[in-house]
Amino acid sequence: MPKSLFIDPKNARKKSDIKFGTIPVNHYSKTIEEEKTVYSKQDFLRIYRDMLIIREFETMLNLIKTAGEYQGVPYNHPGPAHLSIGQEASAVGMAYTLSVDDYIFGSHRSHGEILAKGLSAIHQLNDNDLMKIMKVHFEGETLQVVEKGFKGETKDLAIDFLLYGTLAEIFARKTGFNKGLGGSMHAFFTPFGVYPNNAIVGGSGDISVGAALFKKVNSKPGIVVANIGDASMACGPVWEGISFATMDQFRKLWDEPYRGGLPIIFNFMNNQYGMGGQTQGETMGYDILARVGAGVNPEMMHAERIDGYNPLAVIDAFRRKKKIIEDKKGPVLLDTLTYRFTGHSPSDASSYRSKEEIEAWEQQDSLLSYSADLIRSGIASADEVAAMKSMVVGIIVSALKKAIDDSVSPRMNLMAQPELIGDMMFSNQSIDKMEDRVPQTLLTMEENPRVQQLLKKERFGLDKEGKPISKLKTYQLKDGIFEAIIDRFYKDPTLVAYGEENRDWGGAFAVYRGLTEALPYNRLFNSPIAEGAIVGTAIGYGMAGGRVIAEIMYCDFLGRSGDEVFNQLPKWQSMSGNIIKMPVVIRVSVGSKYGAQHSQDWSALVAHIPGLKVVFPATPYDAKGLMNSALQGTDPVIFFESQRIYDVAELFHEGGVPEGYYEIPFGEPDIKRKGDDITILSIGANLYRAIEAADILKEKYGVSAEIIDARSLVPFNYDLVIESVKKTGRIVLTSDANTRGSFLKEMAHTISELAFDELDAPPVVVGSRNWIVPAHELENHFFPQAGWILDAIHQKIVPLQGYVPVTDFGDTIIKQRNRKGI
Amino acid sequence: MAEAVFMPRLGQSVESCIITEWGKKKGDTVNEGDVLFCYETDKASFEETAKTSGILLETFYKEGDEVPVLANVCVIGKAGESVDAFRPSAQASDASEPVPAAVLATTASPAETPSQVSSAKLKISPRARGIAQAKGISLQGIQGSGPNGRIIVRDIETALTSIPKTTHSAPPAPLSAATQAPVSPPPSFVVSNNDFVEAPLSSIRKLIAKSMHASLQNSAQLTHHTSADARKMLELRAICKARFEKGEIPNISLNDMVCYATVRALEKMPAINSHFLGDKIKTFKKVHLGIAVDTERGLMVPVIRNADDLKLKALAAQIKQLAESCRKGNIDPELLQSENASFTISNLGSYGVELFTPVINLPQIGILGVNTITYRPSDLGNGIIGFIPVIGLSLTYDHRALDGAPASAFLKEIRNQIENLSNDLI
Repeated sequence: MPKSLFIDPKNARKKSDIKFGTIPVNHYSKTIEEEKTVYSKQDFLRIYRDMLIIREFETMLNLIKTAGEYQGVPYNHPGPAHLSIGQEASAVGMAYTLSVDDYIFGSHRSHGEILAKGLSAIHQLNDNDLMKIMKVHFEGETLQVVEKGFKGETKDLAIDFLLYGTLAEIFARKTGFNKGLGGSMHAFFTPFGVYPNNAIVGGSGDISVGAALFKKVNSKPGIVVANIGDASMACGPVWEGISFATMDQFRKLWDEPYRGGLPIIFNFMNNQYGMGGQTQGETMGYDILARVGAGVNPEMMHAERIDGYNPLAVIDAFRRKKKIIEDKKGPVLLDTLTYRFTGHSPSDASSYRSKEEIEAWEQQDSLLSYSADLIRSGIASADEVAAMKSMVVGIIVSALKKAIDDSVSPRMNLMAQPELIGDMMFSNQSIDKMEDRVPQTLLTMEENPRVQQLLKKERFGLDKEGKPISKLKTYQLKDGIFEAIIDRFYKDPTLVAYGEENRDWGGAFAVYRGLTEALPYNRLFNSPIAEGAIVGTAIGYGMAGGRVIAEIMYCDFLGRSGDEVFNQLPKWQSMSGNIIKMPVVIRVSVGSKYGAQHSQDWSALVAHIPGLKVVFPATPYDAKGLMNSALQGTDPVIFFESQRIYDVAELFHEGGVPEGYYEIPFGEPDIKRKGDDITILSIGANLYRAIEAADILKEKYGVSAEIIDARSLVPFNYDLVIESVKKTGRIVLTSDANTRGSFLKEMAHTISELAFDELDAPPVVVGSRNWIVPAHELENHFFPQAGWILDAIHQKIVPLQGYVPVTDFGDTIIKQRNRKGI
Repeated sequence: MAEAVFMPRLGQSVESCIITEWGKKKGDTVNEGDVLFCYETDKASFEETAKTSGILLETFYKEGDEVPVLANVCVIGKAGESVDAFRPSAQASDASEPVPAAVLATTASPAETPSQVSSAKLKISPRARGIAQAKGISLQGIQGSGPNGRIIVRDIETALTSIPKTTHSAPPAPLSAATQAPVSPPPSFVVSNNDFVEAPLSSIRKLIAKSMHASLQNSAQLTHHTSADARKMLELRAICKARFEKGEIPNISLNDMVCYATVRALEKMPAINSHFLGDKIKTFKKVHLGIAVDTERGLMVPVIRNADDLKLKALAAQIKQLAESCRKGNIDPELLQSENASFTISNLGSYGVELFTPVINLPQIGILGVNTITYRPSDLGNGIIGFIPVIGLSLTYDHRALDGAPASAFLKEIRNQIENLSNDLI
């Protein structure tokens, strides 16, 4: 909350009424005849051609799925095909006015939008640019298939390229737009402004907002269109995306030239069904979808319902809405009414709707009415229309034949290259800055009050006698994170950071204290309390080419961004065939003291998901070095921080935390204390309890423990740990995560596999109890304590002479608890 | 009706045998008495002959395979008969790590898991097992101090520093470790070039290596040498030879006579007829004499039980029979256990050896080395010095159990017995 905004109780408590304006519904009703001054003959024909191409493309897929052949060409496609037959006018109208710089994001039903936007871009790009784009894409791998034997115009070649690239992608061919790794529901082609479609309903609802944020923050031309379905209006990511996109601060707090609404159109492709559920009348309550805009902001999101069965109506709407966006008055909500003739998917028997209803819409088929209008208005003869149809069938047949020909369109050979997809999970690049320009800052680094304050801090936590220095005088873990982040803000102009309370407050745990002074709003701002959108927009921001740090204030809130963290963030680098980079760092703060919903370590959840890098530093030196690596890389990183140790000083790295820049490579654990008799591997804050346990082991039992701090979870190099186990023969693993399914269990298992013959006892996991986290006063019974480590060693590894265990690690209790599910 | 041929159980401690050679192939006609296959334990090798005639319908193991005892090895029957009923179950045929039941039964487990004491698997950590194997430590008798009675590294370390403890209620370390030798894979390949041939150790070689090395590592042995006037013995030998050639008695060798004399000495001085068991000494009331026998496969030491009950002729006959069994490889493995002998004699005289230091077979405390006969000047009486035949005797004893004086007295007693061998013995 900025102090500049004064909440005046007099105003706030004053009696008044909210008045809504009107929302237009299907206002446009012009014919071709009436629009001849706006469009040329070629324009009218091109609109028809594009609709025809989409219709035939989808019809071809429908026949392949249902009849096993198209135009005498047999093929079996076992994968998905969510078709948009009937929705062509909406797609073509949407794409018609968009420039190449405008980005569209889509849904599972977006073949039509890909083709429409691609055809629009091909029309706008000159031949040289088109050739360049096609040649650059996977070094011409896709182009060479369509180029072979082609004679004709470059634009026609580009159309073949578009159809083939999309189809090969749908058929999982290596020559597809995303090497066949995206498939039907995720195909896209960024050079034409086609950004990822999304198989999760509403998945694009917040990701697209991030792309719009990127355009605004980095002063990029163009707008963003989120093509999402009517049913997605119910989804959290869509609501959160809308909330994020309509934040007042864009228009009220951000400085010029960044001030103003986000350049995004939420275009609901309203085919009136969510699978079989009727959004109007059954599964939603809005009656008309556009109504929703009224409640979002005073501008009612410029909401409008338009007739998606008339391409001219859609074009008209997008022209008008684009102007609103260019005037910085966005965002916009469009309710583009349409209808799909085919089912949700080819396996859908349409049992939820009547034959009469489908027939009624088919009678108003946009292709029929538009072609009739073309003939009626003298733009084309019936023969010309028929000729155009047969031309389209010809190019679709040609694309199909090429896309199913294994000799020119092979799939990835995972037998010969078993690591091929594995090697595509991460981009693993090291890049100082995502763009080369001067980063926008308000102070020099030297003028920053926190930077000045840190100069006075002791960068090592012990004095010459080895005694701890007062916390107030020492450089702490949160300072390490801050130093790495502020450094990157002065290096990478695209870097932005946001989350809850990131500005003014300086983050709930003071990590960002000092950043507000240094950075304008457009680089550091408070988000709505919408973790889905915080992560989702960060994904869109990264996809579009920027670097971003998003913050989840408590790990417990990670669930709120479940789809974004599990389905979106980790997948897009590989699903894009490595076209997209994802330099997104999600800072996740692990709590304590605040009970069951504010104290959980969920590192295992994200470590389980392929495609995320996961780190959890426990010392200031490691925090700074790992954050530097995270911000230098191009991969999504979940950066865990523990609130219990934000204030710890550096106790291990000789000489303290360096003032300059350094990186700690991901995946490398670190020996924090050398020892011979037992290895203790810790993740996160429990390092300090491991140290405590090691002290007791040494002093009372003469057992010398080697303490290894994992630092990273994914990736993880086991060499150091195995070497240690070879020496000690024994290992205990500990962290704050509850034991069942924790990452420690994964590590224990891997260590057993890699060092079975070296082990004198099974690796033993000392994690938290499988309970709710109780109140702070009871936490010591939940989180693993130093004593638990000794108990586990005594009972499971090597009995300690004279030791009396406090907690039970015996086999009986383990079995009993598992039986009870706790 | 088809019949299975199973791997015989040769001795209580034998858990598995290795098939060394097939005499018949699958599909061959087999006659009763034909050699089906040869196999070996870690101590000896044997032949299995067919008990019935028929077709060798199936073989379940290859040469080099380790086969658990009592498991079906092959099937003989009529052509076309099914062998499925005889196929060893997956578990029975999984011979990769046979568990020596005899060893397990005596491995104490803590009271926490009484049900596992007698039947279940030995609880030992992989690391502890590795160290025990590398150091040749017997797991038998080691008390596991780890969780659930698991033997952990520190138990092995304790055992290493106090070897005798492990022999407290058990056979000595080296041999019982060797009884687990089947765990390691059988010799499977030989590396050879112009300069050398490198071959893996045979089971018996491994056994000898371990027990000899363990003996030198784990005892305080030293050797005293003396020689005995052999004139009487040679005289007796001449009589024996003459009578043997007439077919009146079996052949009685000089070695047999030395053995006989030694048994008599052991009767008189039983202190050395003993086992050293760390915290106690077990002295035998009877003499169980181990005889070192050189075979193609290596050194074997069969035991003649109750040798003190045998007259010279009977002793000689038994020595001959045992030596032959060893050389043929069909010796009862039980007779090769060093803990079954109370004292051992090793004779290298026939090789012309004049002096050597035999190595004790623990837990025995003595071994007599018998050397060749040489001639030595001696006072023949009346001021006449002449050369007489003498036989060299080398006694190695364990100083932990016995001091130098009694050991020397014992050696002197053997000499005495040899010098006073009576012709009445035959």
